[in-house]
Amino acid sequence: MGALPVYHYVGMGLLLFLIGAVGVIIRRNAIVMFLCLELMLNGVNVIFMALGRAKGSVEGQVIVLFVMAVAAAEAAIGMAIITSYYRTHRSVDADKADLMKW
Amino acid sequence: MSHLLPYMPYALLLLFTLALAVTGLGVIILPNPVHAALALLANLVVTSLLYLVMLGAPFVAMVQLIVYAGAILVFILFVIMLMNLRKEEYTFKVWPMRALLGIGAAAIFFFQIFALNPNFAGKALLGAQGPDAKVLADLIFSKYLMPFELVSLLIFAAAVGAIALAKKKA
Repeated sequence: MGALPVYHYVGMGLLLFLIGAVGVIIRRNAIVMFLCLELMLNGVNVIFMALGRAKGSVEGQVIVLFVMAVAAAEAAIGMAIITSYYRTHRSVDADKADLMKW
Repeated sequence: MSHLLPYMPYALLLLFTLALAVTGLGVIILPNPVHAALALLANLVVTSLLYLVMLGAPFVAMVQLIVYAGAILVFILFVIMLMNLRKEEYTFKVWPMRALLGIGAAAIFFFQIFALNPNFAGKALLGAQGPDAKVLADLIFSKYLMPFELVSLLIFAAAVGAIALAKKKA
């Protein structure tokens, strides 16, 4: 098997990150915005793995493991916020969250 | 067939990129949140295969499958099904303006990354066996011991915070 230049993988991760970023901006459903955040984290993970592999170091993988742990904590907190928001508003529409709007 | 072998990495690359793009677009386009979550599940599984097949990292691939696709996605799906979302909340509002804004922001990101760092040196080997879990564990429990413990503290704090946020006010 041959080797691929690492920028192919960087482009792949970038594509995932961009799709997630566009999704956060265009969707109104808070849960789907959250899914798009996970998509962005996933894209960054791909770039970390590829760059770590290209430099021949394991630290890229270590960072990816940490990112996964932080993503799990983020999911717990995010879902708790969405649940309590749903309890008061009966919807998860992010546009209706304007309590602190100036 | 052997003369086709040099093109094998590029075929795999194309296949993975297409799969990631299709499932990723599925997340942001599908109107039903359950379908979007399932598209994200497919995306995470494809990423795990990418780690396994192309980046030679079987341990991280398995952790990705178990933690992301197994735990986090099931958790999110559980919350989605807990809320009985009505039909009109699925839709996009002011879609053209937001899409334009989103694509503009994406173009800026894209430009920034490739303009600031145009040539990433080095090649990522394909298929060859990477470092195994032992090397990873040696690193995590020596050099990265402090961040590791801090992450455990973070997850503990997140669990307490999630309960405090989501419980009914007495």
